Amino acid sequence: MAQRPTNLARRAGLGLIAPALALVIAAALSSLLLVSTGDDVGGFWTTLTTKPENRNIVNILNYGLVLYLSGIAAAIGFRMNLFNIGVEGQYRIGAFVAAVVAGEAWLPGKANIVLAVLAAMVAAGLWAGIAGLLRVTRGVSEVISTIMLNAIAGLLVGYFVQKVGVSTGVSRSTKAIPEESWVGGIKLFDGVPTQLFGLALLAPVVGVVYYVVLNKTRFGFNLRASGASETAAVASGVDVKRMIIVSMVFSGVIAGLIGMPTLFGSAHNYGSSFQTGIGFAGIAVALLGRNHPIGIAFAALVFSFLQDRAGLLNILAGISPEIVAVTQGIIVLAVVIAYEIVRRYRANLERAHVAQQVEEVRA
Amino acid sequence: MAAGVDAGKATESVRVVGITKRFPGVVANHDVSFAVTAGTIHAIVGENGAGKSTLMKILYGVQKPDEGQIEVNGKPVTLSTPADAIAQGIGMVFQHFQLADNLTVTENIVLGAEKLHGIGAAARAEILRISQAYGFGLDPDELVESLGVGERQRVEILKVLYRGARIIILDEPTAVLVPQEVDALFANLRELKAQGNTLLFISHKLDEVRAVADAITVIRRGTTVDTVTPASVTSRQLAELMVGSELPSPSTEESTVTDRVLLQLRDIEVLDAAGRPELSGIDLTLHAGEVLGIAGVEGNGQTELVEAIIGMRKASRGTVTLGAEDITTWSTGRRRELGIGVIPEDRHRHGLLLDSPLWENRILGHQTRPPSVRGPWIDRSGARADAARIIAEYDVRTPGIDTSARALSGGNQQKFIVGREMSGDPQLLIAAHPTRGVDVGAQAAIWDHIRAARRDGLAVLLISADLDELIGLSDSIKVILRGRFVGDFDPHTVTPEQLGSAMTGAGSD
Amino acid sequence: MRPNIKEGILRRLSKIAVVALIASMTLTGCGKDDNKASTGDGANASKDVCQSATGTGPKVGLAFDVGGAGDRSFNDSAIVGMQKAADDLGATCISATPGSATESDEDRAERLRTLADQGYNPVIGIGFIYSVAMNTVAAEFPETNFAVIDGFDPDTKPNANVAYLGFAEQQGSYLVGVAAALKTKSKTVGFVGGTRGDLIKKFEAGYTAGVKSVDKNIKVLVTYLTEDPNDGATGFQNPSGGKVAAEGQLDKGADVIYHASGKSGNGVFEAVTAAGDGKFAIGVDSDQYLTASADEQPHILTSMLKRVDVATFNMIKSVADGSPLTSYTTYDLAQDGVGYATSGGFVDDISAQLDEAAAKIKSGEIKVPDKP
Repeated sequence: MAQRPTNLARRAGLGLIAPALALVIAAALSSLLLVSTGDDVGGFWTTLTTKPENRNIVNILNYGLVLYLSGIAAAIGFRMNLFNIGVEGQYRIGAFVAAVVAGEAWLPGKANIVLAVLAAMVAAGLWAGIAGLLRVTRGVSEVISTIMLNAIAGLLVGYFVQKVGVSTGVSRSTKAIPEESWVGGIKLFDGVPTQLFGLALLAPVVGVVYYVVLNKTRFGFNLRASGASETAAVASGVDVKRMIIVSMVFSGVIAGLIGMPTLFGSAHNYGSSFQTGIGFAGIAVALLGRNHPIGIAFAALVFSFLQDRAGLLNILAGISPEIVAVTQGIIVLAVVIAYEIVRRYRANLERAHVAQQVEEVRA
Repeated sequence: MAAGVDAGKATESVRVVGITKRFPGVVANHDVSFAVTAGTIHAIVGENGAGKSTLMKILYGVQKPDEGQIEVNGKPVTLSTPADAIAQGIGMVFQHFQLADNLTVTENIVLGAEKLHGIGAAARAEILRISQAYGFGLDPDELVESLGVGERQRVEILKVLYRGARIIILDEPTAVLVPQEVDALFANLRELKAQGNTLLFISHKLDEVRAVADAITVIRRGTTVDTVTPASVTSRQLAELMVGSELPSPSTEESTVTDRVLLQLRDIEVLDAAGRPELSGIDLTLHAGEVLGIAGVEGNGQTELVEAIIGMRKASRGTVTLGAEDITTWSTGRRRELGIGVIPEDRHRHGLLLDSPLWENRILGHQTRPPSVRGPWIDRSGARADAARIIAEYDVRTPGIDTSARALSGGNQQKFIVGREMSGDPQLLIAAHPTRGVDVGAQAAIWDHIRAARRDGLAVLLISADLDELIGLSDSIKVILRGRFVGDFDPHTVTPEQLGSAMTGAGSD
Repeated sequence: MRPNIKEGILRRLSKIAVVALIASMTLTGCGKDDNKASTGDGANASKDVCQSATGTGPKVGLAFDVGGAGDRSFNDSAIVGMQKAADDLGATCISATPGSATESDEDRAERLRTLADQGYNPVIGIGFIYSVAMNTVAAEFPETNFAVIDGFDPDTKPNANVAYLGFAEQQGSYLVGVAAALKTKSKTVGFVGGTRGDLIKKFEAGYTAGVKSVDKNIKVLVTYLTEDPNDGATGFQNPSGGKVAAEGQLDKGADVIYHASGKSGNGVFEAVTAAGDGKFAIGVDSDQYLTASADEQPHILTSMLKRVDVATFNMIKSVADGSPLTSYTTYDLAQDGVGYATSGGFVDDISAQLDEAAAKIKSGEIKVPDKP
């Protein structure tokens, strides 16, 4: 009887060991790299471990929440064993469409925001749906098709910005969103120039919905079952083809939200300085966060924190900030390995536990 | 006890003393000791999970024992890798063939042993020599994909001999063979023995073991119980040694067949991706309270038949009726909702979410029905309660419903599946190889459940490779060959040999 | 069953590995950096000037776009200006570069903010990409002087402490277009642009006009490395892409290729050099003959000079003089803001025609289009 709680505690502890292990490995390897290139390791760690200024905290939260949306979008696919590499293209399509819709301002004020956000979700969802459709009807691996769709999305958006955009200086962007349809920031600290994006609050909402749908609904069960074993899901009566399309579309719908906080909170148009790469970062975040809503939040904050600190590295410590990208890369690789090790260890542990229990029953 | 170790014989090929192997928390082998006389066929028998596989892996150098000693030809050896074992003249024939279909026999055999006789004429000559020496009758230049199961197995044995093995371990070699092929295999084994090879034969089919082995070592719960000679024991005694208790047998009580037709297939045809028929002209009528057995060599359309009934494969022709409903165009989900329970032939692929807890596995296949769901929501407490009920009623041995399915033994996984598929009032139960890879205790329990289902008026479609099981449980038996039914048999009068002939097409046409 | 489980794990692992690989690749900026270029003298140059300068003049904060110094072109031109400021004005500096391609305007703003916060003045954003961020941060630091090369004011509210330093690239491009037209034997010339945006279109427009002014029948092949204006990595840091584009044009008969693609241009040089005698490339922004390898030098006809160094130096000087530049300044041919390079002496024989064209542009006789 006393066995149980310790066992449970051990299992919970194991869950935390993997990411911790990955972070430690990444830290060690990064330090090693810095030493080997003759960089200032001390400066690296001082910069990284200094408490961020209030305005940096806001930045970290802002980017973290955006990354969170991206991580969830990727995780939806992952849970169903669909490797949606296409979040990148999907969110850019979504952000562009929303920028156009909001810029045209067919509806007044806040209604314009709602319409534009919905348009982003629909556009990104449909874009993702293409990959689902290709997979189901033609058997095209979603990894391949989404990578290609990313390239196409970038080109398409670029083309349309040139076509329908307005000239701003030496670049082009979509028409600016009228000020009445901006979403104001949330002030976290006094006397700080940066504010939390209003629409960043979509992230926790999405997190809760993700958790509830996945764990509490029949749809979520079918999705997880299809991911855990497609064959078993088919045999149990799940229409896996339909699930592939639907989950791909859902993944895209969430991806459509990624660009919204920035679009309505600061950029107010889609132009050449609009942030790209969040979709790819989301894949790493989902991997690190183990597709779990809390884990993804943690991972998003870690990545966002590193990104923020990276900006200071060459100003404060004279270190090339690329080292942080390397660190992030190592984290992702380490995490994959660490999780697999822990997963196997845990499986053995459980098997042993079962054997023990069964012995007790027999005895 | 160290039973059966006769000390001092100079002619021992293998001698195992006090082998113990622990996995985290489990003792897979404990004080295993036995000796194999050179030039004999020595059988190792035991239930699934008794520790046979671990023992074989230790002998083949895949795993290292924690304690104990192995002697080969009188000398103590350390086997750290299969290469060590091969160097000691030990070879292993796996249950699942490890052959490349698109290579020839020679290429398959030479693969990985190119240093021995090259890859050219010398290798081919050596293969031919071995094949003739033991009467294998293999053509070195034939593609493996065109070989039958028995021939493939001989290729596997030849592979081992080619590498110079004199001690050959065969892991459940008869599991994939029909009776006639088993006879042929045994002839080969006797020839191998006659020429001085030593064979270690692992099985749980006791009649076969008694027919071919010179000595039998019984393993129970990880340890050697006894070593006996076939002449000194009956199959039943042997089985009791294995299980440690009285033994059940598959047999039905009086007929419960009604005239109410539950499942009817008419002229079903299923095509593969290339448009070739995998099933054709399938007619079948199954009544409430009837168990219909389907016999056949694996790969003759059994899988497709099940998939056509549950809607995983679309029939290109014909109709499927369940009760009063024509379900030909229905999805799998709708069909299951109507009351089809399935014990799939591959429970890992089709029956379980291995890494999910048992209570979630309870929901699988019942995603639209209480008690596991309420509307679009998962009914967590309902599913948990019912999973607990199944565990209790079907004697699933597990610490609890939060244990992942993977952690359970095959028998307990299967009992859980049976329990789940019997939930929710099914009309039709499809049981494909329900006792495969299941220990004797669980086997008896599963047979009981099938009999109970029949008594309750379910229609049961039983597909099995175990002819005793088919004969014992079925009310009637159909034989399937190359996607067609080729014969109907009455289980009360038919013998396994007759079925075997029909299954290979030798008896009919 | 055992082998099956193992296979399953393997398959799973390999799929995860693919994803991890992609993820880590994108995180580290697509691995597209050509070592040859990024480890070149430029990178050291920026380090050198900012490390070696010890004067008491203005403390300059230089903010680069991804890739930063070492492009032997646009960014390095700014460093040349910085070096001059260090020499003449005793200026010191620090340079800041993004670590990943994933940057938002907030990240850029934070970089500028940190620089301003640390007391750097002026703070210069090298590249129009800083325009939006500059607009935000300039308001927060009214005492600091800011400048954006190629920049613009994204809103209607003027900023009193920001200088937008633009160039008449079309004019310089016109001149190298004339040079290309006079030098081509195959009557086919090429243009390789980074991203297809309004900025690079100015180069294309001027170049084409220059070529056509000599001979309307000369064919101008135009290739952009990407249509995606957000994808600066593919456009401007993609030597292998530049090489492929140039090879394509060479195959179609082009014998002079002008590039306006930053670091990607290194690939153009490589392709032209490999194509052998009689094939030329035209550099951009800096005098790229000077930074080219000995192999490449015989193939660099000229370079369109965009005097980012002048603009940078002027900005620093204006701050040192106490009358900082603000608002828009366009560096054109008339004030030597653009021009062409004569290193290598390949255009000495046609300098008369080039000077004539230059004179006509300065006098307004020739109006160079800035859109193709």
